[in-house]
Amino acid sequence: MVFTQLLINSLIIGSIYALVAAGFSLIYATNKFLHLAHGVCITVGAYLLFLLFTQLNISFPIACILTIILTSLFGLCLYLLIYRPLQKKKTSSVILLIASLGLLILFQNIIQLFFGANVRSLGYLRIEHGLTIFGAIITKLQIIIMCVAILLFIGLLFFMKKTKLGRDMRAVADNKELASIVGINPKKVAIYSFLIGSALAGVAGILIGLEQNMEPTMGTELMIKGFTGAIIGGIGTVAGAIPGSYMLGIAENFGIWYLPSGYKDAIAFILLFIFLLFKPEGLFGVVKGVKE
Amino acid sequence: MIEQYIMSVFIYVCIYIILTLSLNISLGYTGLINLGHIALFGIGAYSSTLLMMNLDLPFIISFLSAGIITSLFGLLLVFATKKLKGDYFALATLGFSFVIYSLLLNLVGLTRGPLGIPGIPKPSFFGITLTTTFSYLLFAIFITALCVFIIYKIVHSPFGRLLQATRDDEIGLRVLGKNTNLLKYKSMMISAFFAAIAGSLFAHYITFIDPTSFVLHEVILLLTMVIVGGIASFKGSIIAPFIIILIPELLRFLSIPSAILGPMRQIIYAFILLLILYYKPRGLFGRVDLA
Repeated sequence: MVFTQLLINSLIIGSIYALVAAGFSLIYATNKFLHLAHGVCITVGAYLLFLLFTQLNISFPIACILTIILTSLFGLCLYLLIYRPLQKKKTSSVILLIASLGLLILFQNIIQLFFGANVRSLGYLRIEHGLTIFGAIITKLQIIIMCVAILLFIGLLFFMKKTKLGRDMRAVADNKELASIVGINPKKVAIYSFLIGSALAGVAGILIGLEQNMEPTMGTELMIKGFTGAIIGGIGTVAGAIPGSYMLGIAENFGIWYLPSGYKDAIAFILLFIFLLFKPEGLFGVVKGVKE
Repeated sequence: MIEQYIMSVFIYVCIYIILTLSLNISLGYTGLINLGHIALFGIGAYSSTLLMMNLDLPFIISFLSAGIITSLFGLLLVFATKKLKGDYFALATLGFSFVIYSLLLNLVGLTRGPLGIPGIPKPSFFGITLTTTFSYLLFAIFITALCVFIIYKIVHSPFGRLLQATRDDEIGLRVLGKNTNLLKYKSMMISAFFAAIAGSLFAHYITFIDPTSFVLHEVILLLTMVIVGGIASFKGSIIAPFIIILIPELLRFLSIPSAILGPMRQIIYAFILLLILYYKPRGLFGRVDLA
């Protein structure tokens, strides 16, 4: 009973974390810097849906599609307007990391300025009784979250393995110089990775906006979970970030079986720390560039 | 009333001068990309408060012990992360600040968690208690001057030059037979000690602390100050807190509601940080790049 419920809860939250981690990892793999402002893309996604659907009364499916497109463009703008000019000045990845932290705080507060610090809710779905599966309760929305996430992961992995652009991305992730020698344009790859990564963040924003409520700081929190998942799985590998995030979901939910529930976040941070200290390359990653 | 306000602003400036200088020791002079400095500030604030309130220790002793406890945390942080470099070190220090934040939030028995600790006693020594803002300001100026002097001596000593050499050419320094790990430990311990002094000054001034004073966006403020002043610039670390604290304070005179003032302040800090990273990544007085 408790076991299946915790397992299902782990898979639901793991799906959201994995969406965040997959986008974050994709951007890290092709750009080699930590885009912490990825978290704010999630918040932007959730609030865009709130704006389009609740305030402007656009029908829900269209509002969702618009949200994903706009979030994706928002991520691209961050790249083109902030990161790209900085990269052109040959700034180190640490400066880009600090800039991304600045962007995260900047947009989080801009959102708070416009929408207030209060918790908002979309109010699209009515509260309903969940279905009971093996003694565990799950709502239809939660089933949808898991299915959407899994479909997107299959699509993403297929895209990375089989399409020309996906292969280019993996090539740039592996060795940027070598990739440009054989005629792959790293700038184009970077643009597409920001578009796809931020679109995934938009989807995560929509799903979390439906499942929970939204507040301006939600992105920061999810970002931490996302990069923890990415680090557990191996940060440069999109395929590793997904199982890593599900593991994080499982560790968090089963952890509070033994610990007080206040420690839920602490579990993630401690896991992050343990992995950084003892296995920074992650479970499925490569050692390159991590240690001296 | 207005004097009270101006004095309190200057007490904050003093606290942030110590914090900026202390972060510059690890981040600027030694090149350790330390994004968890705010956690050390928090540990200092909490240790000084708890030692004084729970163990009834005199102020001076808890003030200094907080420094020592925090420097041990600093040592723990660099010792544990000694094999990491670049982004991974930065991420680990960021992770450290999250761990400390959630411990402050969850060790309810010790820290009272989200409720925070009210009624922190004002500093008292030799039978004098600093009850007025003016006396606290004098005390803060005295402590700040002392810290500035000590840090000046440290960074301009042969040891300080070794720290800079660790940042610029670690392998070269090792070839010369210096233990660079040991230098990093010492640098972080000194940095953490002064962060704790600032934390303790902060806690005993506002007499109430809760974990939200030590969360992520406060790191932005610190990084902005260090980077605006300049990496490894002593002068910059003293001037930048004045600029960075006084600019948003001007907003208060525009009678903006406080619900807008909070985010506005953060937006200004983040904006200044991004501008300086783009136009003048070495800061106003910096001489070296953050690599």
